[in-house]
Amino acid sequence: MIRALIVEDELHVREELQELLAETGEYTVVGTYSNALQGLRAVKSMRPDILFLDIHMPKVDGFQFLGMLDAEHMPYVVFVTAHDEFALRAFEENALDYLLKPVQIERLARTTEKIKRFLLEGKRPAYISPVLERIPCVIGHGLKLIDTAEVEYVRSTETGVHIVTAKGEFLTELTLMVLETKTDLLTRCHKQFLVNLHQIDEIVRTDPSTVTIKTRSGKLIPVSRRFLAQMKERLLIH
Amino acid sequence: MRLLFSLIQVMSFFLFIAYVYCNSPGFCLRREDRLRFPNWFILYVFFSAISIGGTYLGLPVQGAVANTRAMGPVLAGLVGGPFLGVAVGLTGGLHRYFYGGFTAFACGLSTTVEGLVGGLVYLYMVHRKTPERSLSPQTAFLTMLAAETLQMVIILLTTQPFSEALRLVQIIAIPMIIANSAGAALFMRILQDRQNVYDQVGAASTARALRIAGRTLNLLAKGFTREAAPELARIIQEETGVGAVAVTDTHTVLAFVGAGSDHHLPGMELGPECRRTITHGEIHFLDGVQEAYRCEHAEKCPLGSVLVIPLRVDNEVIGAIKLFEPARQRFLRINRTLGEGLADLLAGQLLRAQYQEQKNLLVLAELKLARAQVNPHFLFNSLTTIQAIMRRDADRARHLLNHLSNFFRMNLKRNPEYSTLEEELAHVRAYLEIEKARFEEQLTVEIDVDPTMLQVKLPTFTLQPLLENAIKHGIANKLEPGTARIHAFWEDGTARIDVEDDAGSYQENKDQTATGLGLGIVNKRIQNMLRNGTGISISCIPNELTRVSICIPEGKVVA
Repeated sequence: MIRALIVEDELHVREELQELLAETGEYTVVGTYSNALQGLRAVKSMRPDILFLDIHMPKVDGFQFLGMLDAEHMPYVVFVTAHDEFALRAFEENALDYLLKPVQIERLARTTEKIKRFLLEGKRPAYISPVLERIPCVIGHGLKLIDTAEVEYVRSTETGVHIVTAKGEFLTELTLMVLETKTDLLTRCHKQFLVNLHQIDEIVRTDPSTVTIKTRSGKLIPVSRRFLAQMKERLLIH
Repeated sequence: MRLLFSLIQVMSFFLFIAYVYCNSPGFCLRREDRLRFPNWFILYVFFSAISIGGTYLGLPVQGAVANTRAMGPVLAGLVGGPFLGVAVGLTGGLHRYFYGGFTAFACGLSTTVEGLVGGLVYLYMVHRKTPERSLSPQTAFLTMLAAETLQMVIILLTTQPFSEALRLVQIIAIPMIIANSAGAALFMRILQDRQNVYDQVGAASTARALRIAGRTLNLLAKGFTREAAPELARIIQEETGVGAVAVTDTHTVLAFVGAGSDHHLPGMELGPECRRTITHGEIHFLDGVQEAYRCEHAEKCPLGSVLVIPLRVDNEVIGAIKLFEPARQRFLRINRTLGEGLADLLAGQLLRAQYQEQKNLLVLAELKLARAQVNPHFLFNSLTTIQAIMRRDADRARHLLNHLSNFFRMNLKRNPEYSTLEEELAHVRAYLEIEKARFEEQLTVEIDVDPTMLQVKLPTFTLQPLLENAIKHGIANKLEPGTARIHAFWEDGTARIDVEDDAGSYQENKDQTATGLGLGIVNKRIQNMLRNGTGISISCIPNELTRVSICIPEGKVVA
C-alpha cells in the first residue's frame, strides 16, 4: 500500500480525493489537511510516500509549500489543480506529476503506476523549488509569514526552531536544514544556529577558542570553529 | 487743368464708395476660380452703378461729357473676367447712348469695348497662371491707360464731324486718361489692403485656434477630468490673452486663472449666467457695456464682462468655460469668435476621448464577458465540488447544477450595458450558491440591501466581479472562516453599495493581475457611467477588512 497524504483547502475536493484513492485499493490515506502549516507538520511526522498537494491554498501556496519541505522527508509530490497548466509546465521537467480537477479515475491510475515504479526503483525525489522569501511561523492558531531579510538569526532548541527578528521570536515548522538550503542569506554558524549575513554587525573573538557574532540589534550568537572558515569565506564573497 | 481736378474730385467720391463697399458685409473678392451667381450679380450691380454714376457726375464739355464711366467696366473686367466686363460695359454704354450728345454712339461703344479690354487682361493673366496680378494696381493703371486711349481713338473714328471730335479729344483726353488710370490703381490698392487685413487677422486667429487645439488635444485625451481643468484654463488664458478664464463642471468651479483669482476659487458654486448656460446649453455673453458682469463674491472684483461657453459631450452639457475681461477692457470681438469656436473644438476633442475610452472599454468588456460566459476556472472548481457532493447528497448536487446553469444562462442573457441592482443581486446570488457549496463553512455571505435601491442602475457585471474578488483574493486566502458582505444604502441622497470581506488582504501596489482584472474593469465602467471621474473606492484595514465602495451621486441615480 502506498502511504498518501492530502493537503487541500477545499473540503469537498479533499473528501473526493480521499474516496478516489480508497477506491483504487492501492493507497492508505494517512492524513488530510486543509492548510500548509498542518501539512508541513504532518509530512515531517508521518513521512508519506506521496503527497497530493493543492496549488491554491491560503497564505502559503503549493509551490512555496514544496520549497519548505526537507529534502530528507521529500515525498513524491502530485499537484492537484483546476488550472495553472502553464505554471505546471515549468515543473514538468522536474518529473513533477499533476492531476487536474475534477480528478478522473483513469488519469489517477496512470499516476499510481508511476509512483509504484518510482518506489520500486527506490529513487529519492528531488524538486527544484523557489528560493524561500518568507518563513511561515505559528502564531496561536494562525500563521505569520516573516521576510527572510528581517530574520537576524535562527536557533534550534528542544522546543523547536525559533526565528529571531528585531520584533521578537517565532516558532516555525521548518528545519534548520531547509532554512539554510532554501534561503540565500541564512548561513550556518553553529550546529544549532543560522545567522543572516546582512544582520552581522561584529565578529568578536572573546578568548582564543570562542568567537561570537554581534547582530545589528546587539544580540550575541556563538560561532563554532567548524563553521567559522566557511562563514568568513561567504562574507568575503558577499 | 481744372478739368483734371474736377475729375479727380469725382474719382474721390467713387473711391470713397469703393472703400465703404469693401468694408461692408456684401464685399466679396474673387476667391475661387469662378464667380458664383449671387456674387457675380452683386459685382455686376456694383460696377454698373459706378459706370452709370460716372456718366451722371461727369463734366459737360462742348456737348459731350468728361467722365469716369470707364472705371466700372474696366475694373469689372479685371475683377470678374470678360463676361462681367462686357456686361457692365454694355449696361454703362447703353445708358450713355441714351443719355445723348454728339458722342453718344462712340462713348456707348467704347464703354463696352473697355469692359472687354479689362476682361482680356484678366484672361491673359489667368493664362499666364498669375491671376492675382490682374488685381494689382499697376495692371489696373496700365489697362485703364490703354482702355481710355482706345476710347479716344474710337471717338475720333466714329464721331462726325471729325473736327469737333478732335477738339473734344484734345480737351478731355489727358485729364480723363490720367484721372481714370490713377483712380483704377487706387481702387485696386484699396481692395488689396482690405484683403491683407483680412488675411492677417484670419491667419492670426487660425494660428491661435490651432495652437489651442494642439495643446488641449493631449490634455483631453483622457476626457474632461478634474485634474485637466487647471491646465485647460491656463492654456486658454495664455492663448486668448483674456483677463481671466474659469473652467467648471455642472455644479462647481473646477479651475480659475487670471484677474480675480483671489476670490474666484475652485470649488465655488456657479454664478447665475453660468447656471443658465449649463441648463440651456447656450452661449451666454455679458459684453460689459449694455449688460455688465457683476461678481457675486467680491465688491472690488475687477472683472466686467464674460463669455460663458457650454462644454458638451454627445449633446450633454458637462461643464462650461468662462472667458472674462476686466471692466476697464473691451471684450474683443475676435476673442468672442474664438471662444465660441473653442466650444466646438473642445466638444470634438472630448467626443474623441470618450469614443476612444468607450472603444477600449468595449474591448475589455467583451473580453470579460467572454470569460464570464465560459470561465474555465470557475467551471472546473464548480464541477469538482458538485462531483464530490454527488457522492454523498445527490439532491444537493442536482440543485447546485441548476444554480450553475442559471448562472451561465444569466451571463448570456444580460443587457451588456446597464442592469438594475436587483438584476445584479440575482446574478450574484446564483454565483454565491456555488461558491458557498465550494467553501462550505469557510464562507458566509451577508446581503443587506435597502429595498428602495433595487431599481438603481449599474453597469452590468459590476457586483459579481467584486464578490469574486472578495472571495478569491480575500476569504480564500484566510485560514479561518470568512464573511463577505453586500451592503446597499442611501447616504445623503447618494446611492452607496459596499462589498466587503473580512480578510483585509488588499494591497494597493499589487499588480492588476493579482487583484483581478475584474476590479479595473468595474472601476472604468463606473467612471464612464458617472462621467465625473469617480469610480470605485477601496479601503483596507489589514487583516480585518477590505471594502470596495460604489457611490452614485444623487443626480446620477437612474431608477
